[in-house]
Amino acid sequence: MMQKKTWIAATAASAMAVGLAACTPSGGDSAESGEITWAIGGARSQPGAAHDQIADLWNEANPDTPVTVEALPESADEAREQQALVLQAGGSEFDVLGLDVVWTGEYVENDWIVELDDLRGELDAAVLPGPMESSSWSGSLWAVPLNTNTGVLYYRTDLVEEAPSDWEALCQAASELDDSMSGYIGQGARYEGFTVNWLELYWSAGGELYNEDQSEVLFDVDTATEVTSFVAEATQNGCFAPGFNTAMEEESRIAYQSGDVAFMRNWPGPYSLIAEDTESPAHEATAVAPLPGFDGNPGVAAIGGFNNAISAFSENQEVAKDFVVWAATDPEVQQILAENSTLPVLSSAYENSDDPLITQLGEVLQTAQPRPSVPAWNEISLEIQSTIFPAVNGEMDPRAAAEQLAEFLEGTVAE
Amino acid sequence: MSTTIRTQPPPRLRRLPGHGLTDVALARLFIAPSVLVMAAVVLFPIGFALVTSLRSYTRRQVDGFAGLANYATVLSDPAFWAAMRFTGLFTVTSVALEFVIGLAFALLMNHARRGRGMTRAVILVPWVIPTVVAGQMWAFMFNINPGFINSLLGLDDFNWLGSAGWATVTVIAADVWKTAPFAALLLLAGLQTIPAELYESARMDGAGAWQRFRHVTLPLLRPAIMVALLFRTVDAVRVYDLPQVMTGGAFGTESLSMLVRQFIVITPDPGIGAALSTITFALVLGVGVLFVSQIGRSMVEGGSTR
Repeated sequence: MMQKKTWIAATAASAMAVGLAACTPSGGDSAESGEITWAIGGARSQPGAAHDQIADLWNEANPDTPVTVEALPESADEAREQQALVLQAGGSEFDVLGLDVVWTGEYVENDWIVELDDLRGELDAAVLPGPMESSSWSGSLWAVPLNTNTGVLYYRTDLVEEAPSDWEALCQAASELDDSMSGYIGQGARYEGFTVNWLELYWSAGGELYNEDQSEVLFDVDTATEVTSFVAEATQNGCFAPGFNTAMEEESRIAYQSGDVAFMRNWPGPYSLIAEDTESPAHEATAVAPLPGFDGNPGVAAIGGFNNAISAFSENQEVAKDFVVWAATDPEVQQILAENSTLPVLSSAYENSDDPLITQLGEVLQTAQPRPSVPAWNEISLEIQSTIFPAVNGEMDPRAAAEQLAEFLEGTVAE
Repeated sequence: MSTTIRTQPPPRLRRLPGHGLTDVALARLFIAPSVLVMAAVVLFPIGFALVTSLRSYTRRQVDGFAGLANYATVLSDPAFWAAMRFTGLFTVTSVALEFVIGLAFALLMNHARRGRGMTRAVILVPWVIPTVVAGQMWAFMFNINPGFINSLLGLDDFNWLGSAGWATVTVIAADVWKTAPFAALLLLAGLQTIPAELYESARMDGAGAWQRFRHVTLPLLRPAIMVALLFRTVDAVRVYDLPQVMTGGAFGTESLSMLVRQFIVITPDPGIGAALSTITFALVLGVGVLFVSQIGRSMVEGGSTR
């Protein structure tokens, strides 16, 4: 019996050791070996594991300075928390940090990442302007774009002749549809997607949240009220599908793919799923277009995606710099991203493509705008969700909601 | 080995020859390591949360002593009161429904002559399903599209998850479905300890079914009822996964635990997060103490009447 106990204890101890080893990021002694660790969210959960393929490609060419992928959680907030745990303790475990486009300001203000202005020369001409803007904070460059994403309008070519140029035209077309169908679906559930969808409308109506260096609030209560009232009304009169206020990306795709709506705002990712579904009424009858405009202004889409920053505590910053520039500008890397349902940041990837979808997305991306990467972005997004969301659902007056949001935004620059 | 221990006479309170410790002192010495481990594992995090809740933080860094400022911030935040309202409503409604339905199931199973094991296994299925999976399943069923519940009830496009009030109903319904079986199981265990003779003599005294239930079953089931209510209430006050998965906290379904997570992961402020956790902990502790003291009393009463 004693022997059995010892055996159990030994097993437990080794299991714990394995567990601990698994928890400890692998780049501990990176300084001598020239190894770097790339901590980025969602790495293995993506189809085809794009990040692993990119790492393999780098390691083939650079056997002396290999990169290891540290796969962080897919959820953006959880991934940020993992990085924060290491960075807050001044840990050098992570060399390259995959940053969601809205994190830049926070990481700079926390002194977690190094300034990369000297890399601008190699990047400015080659990389799309929107992702470059999301990598900047207070006039300097702090990260190098890796991949991007943008909102687009999907529409049924068998039901409408052309993509609506503005939201009024969209709702007009929606009212002429068969009674069994709704007009439009987007991401209207209360989460970050709602913030993005509402901001796209607000930007399309000519609104802005901040000036260029985020030092001054440019929020316009009238524009915000107008846009919010429009969504509230469109939800009421059936232009927006009844499930709009609980739909995220996946619910939107299902509604569109099963033929319940004629228009959908989504990322380009679902396009291939819809195109390949031969049972769907939207099969072979789907096209994408830039988002509709508002009040005569052209539509503005929001940018998603990841930028690579370099940890201030990295002991291998030079290798890390080479890696992030290579990842942004190497056509092969950018091709891997394009094949894995994310969009390249390299301008030439769009110019040289013979895929009409990619060419079109390249055009949308020229005017697409990043959410401001201010340190308090999550607070702002939650405030939008707790003011504008009730307003579009008829539980709050749109103007009161816009005024409350304006007051909150003023508080973010006063700090 | 365990059988040899049991066959020995129980230890007495006396000094063993050869060393100076009484049995009590010796027992304390043996228990000390477990008490220390318990203190380290249980008390340290609670104490640490309390200390954290008294500090002020700027961008995750401690920048001084905050006193009760974090608590003041929490208590003056409308989101906190909204979360309290939902958590309270959820707890009272879901526990009450789970108790009534669980008791009905338990009585049915207790009366079943055949197939009791089978019924018990079937009834437990919802409880075995991981909560996140169950939440996602119910979210799909209540969803407007594909909308199983809507087609079942012929409601066309009723927006369960997307309207104030009904969103709370869906979360409570999912919780009742999931945990009523757990209450049933605890109550069934209690029912099976009630001796059949008591029912027999009650019947001979002319008691009807309702009187037997009211005067025999309920009083003797009290300890089991208390345990079931304690487990369910404490669990309900901490609810996180169901509303997170089903509604994401929209339409007044944000629970206290969801708010705690917000201040730890989404908009990190350890001070506020710890203050919220401490308030939630105090609530859960209060509920726990209330029930445990009731259980203690019912045990004593049960003992004296027997």
